[in-house]
Amino acid sequence: MIRMANTISTRIHDFLKDYPPFSLLDPHQLAELSASVTVQYCRPNEVIFRQGEKPEQRIFVVREGAVQMVRQEDDREILVEQCDEGDVFGIRPLINEDNYALTAKAVEETLLYVVSVEKYQETWNANPKIAYYLASSFAEGLRRNYDTHFKNRLFLDQDRYIDGHFHLVEVQSLEYSKAPVTCSSRIPIQIAAGLMAREEVSSIVVVDEKQHPIGIITDKDLRRKVATGLVPIHQPVEQIMAHPVVTSKKEMTVADAQMDMVKHRIHHLVMTEDGTPDTPVVGVISEHDLLVVQGNNPAVMIREIRRSRKAAELKNIRQQAESLLQKYLYQEVSISYISSVMTEINDALITQVIRLCEETMEEEAVKPPGVPYCWLTLGSEGREEQLLRTDQDSALLFGDVPEEEYPAAKAYFLTLAGRVSTMLNECGFDYCPGDMMASNAKWCLSLSEWKEQFGKWIFEPVPEAILHCEIFFDFRPVYGDTSLAAALTDHIFESVGRQTIFLSFLAKAALQNPAPLTFFRGFVVERSGEHKDEFDIKARAMMPLADAARVLILSARVGRINNTIKRFEKLAELEPSNAELFQQAADSYGILMRYRALQGIRNHNSGRYFNPSELSKMERINLRNSFQPIQELQSLLNMRYQLAYMR
Amino acid sequence: MWFFRSNKKRNAEPEGDGPAFWKDYLRLFRTPLPAQTPIQEVPFVVFDTETTGVDPAKDRILSIGAVRVRNWQIDISGSLECTIARHDSNTSPAVVIHGILPKERPNDLEEREALEKFVLMIGNSVLVGHHVGFDIAVINQALKPLTGSGLKNKRVDTGALSKRVNPVSGPVYPAGPLSLDDLCKQYRIRPSDRHTAAGDAFITATLFLKLLSRLRNRGVHNLGDLLRRR
Repeated sequence: MIRMANTISTRIHDFLKDYPPFSLLDPHQLAELSASVTVQYCRPNEVIFRQGEKPEQRIFVVREGAVQMVRQEDDREILVEQCDEGDVFGIRPLINEDNYALTAKAVEETLLYVVSVEKYQETWNANPKIAYYLASSFAEGLRRNYDTHFKNRLFLDQDRYIDGHFHLVEVQSLEYSKAPVTCSSRIPIQIAAGLMAREEVSSIVVVDEKQHPIGIITDKDLRRKVATGLVPIHQPVEQIMAHPVVTSKKEMTVADAQMDMVKHRIHHLVMTEDGTPDTPVVGVISEHDLLVVQGNNPAVMIREIRRSRKAAELKNIRQQAESLLQKYLYQEVSISYISSVMTEINDALITQVIRLCEETMEEEAVKPPGVPYCWLTLGSEGREEQLLRTDQDSALLFGDVPEEEYPAAKAYFLTLAGRVSTMLNECGFDYCPGDMMASNAKWCLSLSEWKEQFGKWIFEPVPEAILHCEIFFDFRPVYGDTSLAAALTDHIFESVGRQTIFLSFLAKAALQNPAPLTFFRGFVVERSGEHKDEFDIKARAMMPLADAARVLILSARVGRINNTIKRFEKLAELEPSNAELFQQAADSYGILMRYRALQGIRNHNSGRYFNPSELSKMERINLRNSFQPIQELQSLLNMRYQLAYMR
Repeated sequence: MWFFRSNKKRNAEPEGDGPAFWKDYLRLFRTPLPAQTPIQEVPFVVFDTETTGVDPAKDRILSIGAVRVRNWQIDISGSLECTIARHDSNTSPAVVIHGILPKERPNDLEEREALEKFVLMIGNSVLVGHHVGFDIAVINQALKPLTGSGLKNKRVDTGALSKRVNPVSGPVYPAGPLSLDDLCKQYRIRPSDRHTAAGDAFITATLFLKLLSRLRNRGVHNLGDLLRRR
């Protein structure tokens, strides 16, 4: 075919000339080679060549997308390298090697330049620079080694996994009491009780002459069987002991111990030499001991929060929660578990703060209006996604009151909200810079006022309204009369149903988020200001997903699911044809949440901004992969709401 | 016999006139591409034309760009890119956009030559283009005085395909064509060399592959599946 001009091959030439070995070729040869390229499309997971296959006379350049080089070992896949835009792979035919030593697989939708090298092999090998490049890149490819088994863990440096400091409490080995209190079966109950009191223990193990356990007496037995007068106190302990005893090995974890207790409905475990009742007792562990071990346990923290009376105490516990979070993150605990735990803790803290403020006002004899109210959290806490203490976004919703009582009610709730907000600030939650807090008179409203407000946003979707929607539509009741919140939710769905164009506006707004990547797949960094040259993971990667999830779930008329991951999972269930995309989006969001929290913990900030140049290659790749669904989701919104026609 | 003859006559008519290349071209359509041809075996030619305007009846072709696509690959060496010599001084607004000035250039082909090369290249391939109906209409308009008839190829419009990939539901807006620029944005395709026929043909080919891959996930495996109207 005669070509009169060569726009396309010129473009290919311009791309190749920046990457070795093509950058080392003489211009004439590069031009010739560029005109003979084939562009190959690969779908995600498509295998380009397999380990052990015989290579053809061609090499590959990633034009767009990413390709993983994987070594198959038995039934394991070892990720050796990931090739990105501009990377050359499959150069075996150039160095006269036999079969492919690795499998090449597209990670995502990928375009490759396939360059036929048959003609060039000799001249290339004769060129010392090219020969050196080929030899060295070939060696490098074999050296690097990432294990695909840690696929989800690649955000962390490899050596952190080996770091032993972050064992989950649940798998910690138990420190059992070394000197168990024991007695023989024939001593009177009264003596045994005295022994327990002196040793300050809640149980005594009844043993035979060889110290093998035959029964156990606990406080509960004394309470139920002795103090009630059922068994006189001079009777031998065997009358009231529980037997046979449930025994276990001395090497056990907290989780094992908990399981045993639950299984046998007991509160004490007797540990013996070999775990059977036929060896001497070595220790006893009680449910209480377990709780102490689990000092860093969410349930214990929540209980502590409920007992706290001061902001300083609450701040302290929240700080502990942060180290729990860190531990969970490093241990790769699932992000939905992490966020539900952190949400529970945050909710408990907010609730406690509100209760304390209510009490203080009562003590100051400020009379509450006789009307129920509900405290709403908004934004990320509303979506059950606030891992680190970012800012407080809240609103207050109170029941309708007669007009003459309104001013007093409003004044009371504003005072209350003001105090709550101040105290939350003392606990380490920053004030919302946009003043989207219940302490703002605009966001402390009665049910009919809120209905009117949402109605306004829905029926007059001006840009400012849309901005509010993004925050307020994720409201979630945490304290007070939740039926008020339910009434508001119903009203919103009813209004949205009458005003479907609103969803288009919301969808359009969801597309306004700046793109995370440049055309050349670099991270888009801030151009100026405090965070110049830093990447904004919230605005560029997380909000597009959260916004898309919100619009789609509102369209699907599904209420009361606020969490972005759960929203996508629900959408995947509702729309099987897009299930894969939604599931991907859920996974991506989880990765981004995890990543942001880790960055925040590392840098002692919100984790929102970081410098992409500090990322390792694998971190970059992982993050970039997590951006994948954004694009597709946005096309989906574009198509579904026909936004291309909406200017 | 009667049936055979009438059939022959109908076939023979367009073959009667026209240059040799056209007769060769028409011969290729005696055996159509089977509908069961797997997608990876279907020869596609993705092409674009730049014209002096948007009215196929009045406006003329300025340039043609075309690339072959087969087995999920775009073959660059087999691509066609030609500009057509203009012998009039009619400068239309489109000329300004595409940057092709009516001045004669040494590499320009006469329209007849360009069409011949194009027809030779496409053979019986399936033609693909963005709003391909227009491009085929202008080519046919130019072909008619030469050959007496138009292109016979099966055709696929990437604009229509994109709607098949992402069916529209939801609030109602006036349906209209989606621009190549919009789709480039959606499918993350670099819009380099936009508004040159070859550049657009290449971009459209990339878009076509991306759309085709998504349709494959929805059960489009052979030519019949692809051409089926939905």
